[in-house]
Amino acid sequence: MNVFVLLGLGGAAGLLAGMFGVGGGFLATPLLIFVGIPPAVAVASQANQVVANSISSLQVAWRRGNVDLRMGLVLLLGGMIGSSAGVSVFTWLKRIGQIDFVIAVLYVVMLSTIGLLMLAESLRTWFRRRRNPEAPRGKLHTHTIVHRLPLKLRFYKSKLYISALLPIGIGFVIGLLSAILGVGGGFVLVPAMIYILGMPTAVVIGTSNFQILFVAANVTFLQAATNGTVDVVLALLLILGGVVGAPIGSRLAAKLPGVALRGLMSILILVVAAELLTELLRTPSSLFSLGIREVMP
Amino acid sequence: MRPLLPVLALLLGLAASLSASAQGPREAPREAPPRLDAPGGAVPFGPFPVAPADPGAPPSVPGKDATPELIVDLSRPRVSITSAFQGESLLMFGMFDPPGEIVVVVAGPPARETVLRKQRVLGLWLNTGRQAFDDVPAYYFIAASQPLQRLLARGAGGEILSLDDRLSSVRSVGERDHDDLINFRQGLVEVKRREGLYPAAIGQVSIQAGRLFRVELPFPSRLPEGVYEVRTYVLRDGKIVAAVSRPLPVGKVGFSAQLAGWAHNDGALYGLGAILMALMVGWLGGAVVRRM
Repeated sequence: MNVFVLLGLGGAAGLLAGMFGVGGGFLATPLLIFVGIPPAVAVASQANQVVANSISSLQVAWRRGNVDLRMGLVLLLGGMIGSSAGVSVFTWLKRIGQIDFVIAVLYVVMLSTIGLLMLAESLRTWFRRRRNPEAPRGKLHTHTIVHRLPLKLRFYKSKLYISALLPIGIGFVIGLLSAILGVGGGFVLVPAMIYILGMPTAVVIGTSNFQILFVAANVTFLQAATNGTVDVVLALLLILGGVVGAPIGSRLAAKLPGVALRGLMSILILVVAAELLTELLRTPSSLFSLGIREVMP
Repeated sequence: MRPLLPVLALLLGLAASLSASAQGPREAPREAPPRLDAPGGAVPFGPFPVAPADPGAPPSVPGKDATPELIVDLSRPRVSITSAFQGESLLMFGMFDPPGEIVVVVAGPPARETVLRKQRVLGLWLNTGRQAFDDVPAYYFIAASQPLQRLLARGAGGEILSLDDRLSSVRSVGERDHDDLINFRQGLVEVKRREGLYPAAIGQVSIQAGRLFRVELPFPSRLPEGVYEVRTYVLRDGKIVAAVSRPLPVGKVGFSAQLAGWAHNDGALYGLGAILMALMVGWLGGAVVRRM
């Protein structure tokens, strides 16, 4: 595999990540698959890249005191269980030869959901702004079953008094995603923290990066130890590309209006999803492939 | 510089072998017992020690006369897979006592391969069938100085196996319908061929001056590691009169080899290293970028 292709890929993913303020993992992995990296290797190495990405974001948030450590640790508890379970599922899928298929299907589902939601949101904002620039935002935080769960904990920094089961559950789902798809999961975690937990926006980014850092590290470790699918060289190229690409992306983003940016992003995500789906639907050039080669004693 | 190397090696090798035969240790008595290898070991020259022929696969008994001389060497003693490895072509060359024809067989180490077959389920293509085969060579290549059928038709077929013959000895694991098994076996060849591991064409051994021969051995980029075996036969009237086998190690070298070995032998440590690398690069990268 050409070094410059991978560096360019890391740079492109970093650029997009910087532009749209997300981790970029959920775009980098499909791109890696398109250039011919086995999906299992792409996912595991991407988790390694997420470690670098989140430490670099956490650096700033930590210095500014924007991390709710208590919430982070509770999320992490769920995240560790979820990611460990996820790697076990991954190992099992790899053994029965279905991992590549499952990764592709999950990416199609995830990307098309995110893409459609984003597209709808940016279209709505676009039209609403044109009609009525001061349309109030609906409050999504309602008092329902969420506040009747047991094991209530006080989160001082987030000014919340909620059941610990909720962040543990969210952490678990993010851990699963992280293990099977190689993403940090920030694009799911951040909205969940704002809308489901009701956390103040200021601490959300720092706290999510705190949980993502440790979950991604756990995934990297388990993938390397059990599946041997982590490619350090690939991860390093992605990280370096991201280091260069992300600041360029964020500078570019500052020059574009937010709605147009989100609209662009959603279309990009949908295109990637459509491409992955076509791969699944198209009659393959060969029906056969080889599984793992076992050298005989 | 690079293309000159094989030529240089050939010249050196020839000079060495000529001087060796001039000293006459090879003028063995006529009654010498038949031997599998050329006298003096498989390769009497070259900087690398050479293991004797595989004792498990003895070639056919040579003719009544003393074993004709057969000396071979490769332009490189091993195939080194670096991180930039894009496949490579090795030059194999040698000398034999005319008359005769040359057949070269290169076989990779055997392993169990699992063939996966896709099927359309609800419009999506996914692997539904799997079949394992034992004793599948990682790589298989035949080269000959004459069309192979003509050479093998006259009795050497039991010893020299064409790819089809070789694969018919591959054992399937478990029970399966005969037609289905053939389908999977074809799939195996198809994938191996696509990866360049079972070259479809028979290689051309070119003979010069009646006694020097050379052949290119093509190795693709995704080459399994292991010790390959390069067997060379001299055929006379359809019978094998001399054979030499030499091992050809294929392995990763350099940084990528160390990494791969590390990843394979101690995955946990490798994982920790990967995390540490990411933390350091991420931290430094973040700090540097913010400074700008």
